[in-house]
Amino acid sequence: MIRSNPEELVRKNIARFVDKEIIPVAQELDNKGEFPREIFEKLARMGIFGIRYPRHKGGAGGNTTLFCIICEEISRGLLSVASITAMQCLMGTNFLFHSGTPEMLDQYFLPAMRGEKIGCFCMTEPDAGSDLGAITTRATEVDDGYLINGMKTWVTDGPEASFYTVMCQTDPTKRLRGIGYFFVPRHFSGVSVSSPFKCLGTRTTPICEVAFKDVLIPKEYRLTPEGQGLNSFLKIIAEIRTMTAALAIGLQRAAMADSIKYANERVASGKPIAKFQLIQAKIANMVTNLEASRLMTYRAAAMIDAGQDALKESTMAKYFATEAACSATDECTRIFAGYGYSMEYTAQRYFRDSRFLLNGGGTHEVLQGNIARWVGL
Amino acid sequence: MAVWVEVDLCDGCRRCTRECPYDAIEVRDGKARIGDRCTSCGACVDKCHHEAIRSDIQPRVVPDFSEYKGVWVFAEQRAGKLSRVSVELLGKAQELAKQLNEKVSAVLIGYHVTDLANTLIEFGAETVHLVEGPIFKDYRTESYTHVFQELVSAYKPNILIMGATHIGRDLAPRVSRRVGSGLTADCTDLSIDPDEGILLQTRPAFGGNIMATIANRFSRPQMATVRPGVMEVVPAPSTKGTVIPHGSTLTEDKVRTQILEFVKEETPHVDLSKAKIIVAGGRGVNDTAGFELLRELAVALEGELAGTRVAFEAGWIPASSQVGQTGITVRPELYIACGVSGAIQHRAGMSDSRFVAAINKDPYAPIFKVADWGIVGDLFDVVPELTRQLRTACEVMCD
Amino acid sequence: MNIIVLVKQVPNNTEVKLDPKTGNLIREGVDTIVNPDDLQALETAFTLKETHGATITVLSMGPVQAIDALSEAIGMGADKAILLSDRAFAGADTWATSFTLGKAIQRVEKFDLILTGRQAIDGDTAQVGPQIAEYLDLPQVTYVFDIEKLDTGYVQVKRRLEDGYERIQCSLPAVLTIIGGRSKPRYPEISKLLSACTKRAPIEVWNAADIGVTTAEVGMNGSLTQVIKTFAPKFERQSEFLEGSAASVARDLVERFKRNKLI
Repeated sequence: MIRSNPEELVRKNIARFVDKEIIPVAQELDNKGEFPREIFEKLARMGIFGIRYPRHKGGAGGNTTLFCIICEEISRGLLSVASITAMQCLMGTNFLFHSGTPEMLDQYFLPAMRGEKIGCFCMTEPDAGSDLGAITTRATEVDDGYLINGMKTWVTDGPEASFYTVMCQTDPTKRLRGIGYFFVPRHFSGVSVSSPFKCLGTRTTPICEVAFKDVLIPKEYRLTPEGQGLNSFLKIIAEIRTMTAALAIGLQRAAMADSIKYANERVASGKPIAKFQLIQAKIANMVTNLEASRLMTYRAAAMIDAGQDALKESTMAKYFATEAACSATDECTRIFAGYGYSMEYTAQRYFRDSRFLLNGGGTHEVLQGNIARWVGL
Repeated sequence: MAVWVEVDLCDGCRRCTRECPYDAIEVRDGKARIGDRCTSCGACVDKCHHEAIRSDIQPRVVPDFSEYKGVWVFAEQRAGKLSRVSVELLGKAQELAKQLNEKVSAVLIGYHVTDLANTLIEFGAETVHLVEGPIFKDYRTESYTHVFQELVSAYKPNILIMGATHIGRDLAPRVSRRVGSGLTADCTDLSIDPDEGILLQTRPAFGGNIMATIANRFSRPQMATVRPGVMEVVPAPSTKGTVIPHGSTLTEDKVRTQILEFVKEETPHVDLSKAKIIVAGGRGVNDTAGFELLRELAVALEGELAGTRVAFEAGWIPASSQVGQTGITVRPELYIACGVSGAIQHRAGMSDSRFVAAINKDPYAPIFKVADWGIVGDLFDVVPELTRQLRTACEVMCD
Repeated sequence: MNIIVLVKQVPNNTEVKLDPKTGNLIREGVDTIVNPDDLQALETAFTLKETHGATITVLSMGPVQAIDALSEAIGMGADKAILLSDRAFAGADTWATSFTLGKAIQRVEKFDLILTGRQAIDGDTAQVGPQIAEYLDLPQVTYVFDIEKLDTGYVQVKRRLEDGYERIQCSLPAVLTIIGGRSKPRYPEISKLLSACTKRAPIEVWNAADIGVTTAEVGMNGSLTQVIKTFAPKFERQSEFLEGSAASVARDLVERFKRNKLI
């Protein structure tokens, strides 16, 4: 039977959307630095936000591989749109989807799939980032639910969100074993949201602080059962890292495509600079790193789809692909030379945006430590 | 039916790969291999010097068409106004008819259009088939097709050409299917093959990136539509011609469309295909203010303003001023391209201009390949300066 | 209301080039898309489906890879899709193409409207729509950019002309060829794209035998026209570069205009 290959078909169609709807306005969106609502709504109409969720529950019936393909393609257009998409598809809605009551799904999850509500994820705190055991936001059990108290920062999409999935400590003596996820709608009393941070890159992605002061939430808003928080975290972190690697691949591709185009057009000493070996070396490295990034990332994605533990593979993929993206965008600005320094060209945007990837999903210093530990160091 | 390679005989010379119109043959390890794209057309078979390409295709028999004679042109008119392309086609038809030693005829359909027959004769029609009646007042696909069906079966023309206008491109395919003929669309060149005496029809394909020459061996009349503005108008050597009026039995119930209304659109319509001088702008002009500079230059030259597809899409010029593959074809005396990179699709619409001047910042812009005079520089400096000097030049001459 | 939409998968035309050495088409790395005018035809059909209710069947002829065009149409909202694919269909001109599609349409159950794009960007012929209309003995309106009214037995449309437009009433069933209008073609929904890839997807593939044609009637053998040769367009001229300040190049240019009696 003749049928389309779903991965190629999805990639092709998302690519067309990116080429027509994102790339032509990417520079302008980045300059404005506003949340790209129009594009967000178009993505919602295509049903992209439900890519990871089963069809009978309001999703699109895809898997992690397809999710990564979508993230990669959008990132090729504008990383900050891709990061917003990824948040809505994954961290912002995942725990709500798996543990929310039917009412919560109706009220929050389905509207999020339609792009009417935005969900986001609160993990990092001013004094705790990659060392999760140190988080201090407390969920205290009371008669009619939980009281949430604490401060979260680097909340991606925070200023636009309607609801938050908040990582809290339930019992500080238990450290990592005591953490869990709690669902907090923004309109609940005691939630306050700061104005967006001024950031180096990914300027259309709003990031802020969210403070919780005696926020009372009902019992069923606890999204992970007692003692299960860490497991849930380890499960989603593999997917977060794989997705981040996919974002890095998209950015590498954008930087590489523009570098090749520019190197062929720009003439120095009577020939296109693409004919110079030092330029060729830069581009050869980009191509090779891209290929390696793809292999690592989509292998991790395939493992997740097969229900396997992909923590190590996804960690290395995220680390490698992001470093490759930082290197490719750096080299891109060098190939562009003076124009790489100009705000009118794309090279600077890729360069700035690449730094966003270094932190999400764990800093590379922490990840390298993890990787070393896995070989017994 | 298939085409195959006798591998032992093949020396990998690649003559066949060059010949294949479908790019279906590749040479691997020194041997030609026929791939999936093969359509068994057999074009490669005769090219092989070693008879290594074999085929079990029976050569298609070309029927005897000796009774088909004459080069016919569809004289398109709307509301009693003859379209310019019809006259251009008569110019080409004269040339083709001369080579074939046949006669040129025009087919004129409408209501109260007799006067136009004289114009057709002046520009090369030796016979005008005139079909008039209220049913033909507006162009309608089915009524016109009916006329062509009757005329073609009665007179058996050898060649039938129409303008590739919105009407011609509606009518020609319908007529071709009705009379059983092959049709080639949007030709930019027509000629007669000296050996076979058939019509060779050349047209752009793949958005102008490729030219293809097409023949119509297996049916008559050989039908083609031709892009407006491509052929030259040639007044006829003698202005004697015959008008043959035809009646028609067609009744209104046989025509399944009705024209409710024609709405003329209020864009100041300039017929660029007639312009002597054209000033065209592209992406490099940046905005409407930039086009204002070009307009001033056009006014100083008494020329017309035009643009590329980018300029149209950005809203700087109307659709009727877009030159190129998807716009119109022009052949002015002078074409000045400002900030036009010269994509092949654009060049396809203007490369027949007598003189081309190009102003562009990028010395490698392809527009310079088709320019007689090139200026590598900023159009925002050069264009106003050019306008100023032209105004002065004009004043001097006027004195 | 049953609507048939004819679509074609085409190479993204800006990328197709001839190899300067061999003169062959370079197709490597050229991606394929649904022909832009056909996307407009699809969008028109979906709009009619929303306003009048309709079942949309999409029909295409092409190699098996053209299945992607049909999957995309299903993703956008088509109800059924049929791909005509057979090696015997290869190399068809518009005569053979309109015959093949016409034969297939006769096998599709009853329909009220056939929509297709005005022309495809690989061939730009605009012939297949009218030739199918003639083959099926249906009325046609080409260059349609707006459907004003759809009623029992007739449709009112706007047809683009060079200097304006015509409002035309046409009896049904009919063939309309569509050009870009007011609405931009929609993007497919991911969930529908994914269901188009499954076995249960309402997509059928028909070959020559399925539509009851012989190999002599279709493809290259059934064509009346033949491509004799292809070549890269050449219109190069020797360019004389004028150098110097804006004032001096302008002076040089004006001088050349005068010399050639252009002014």
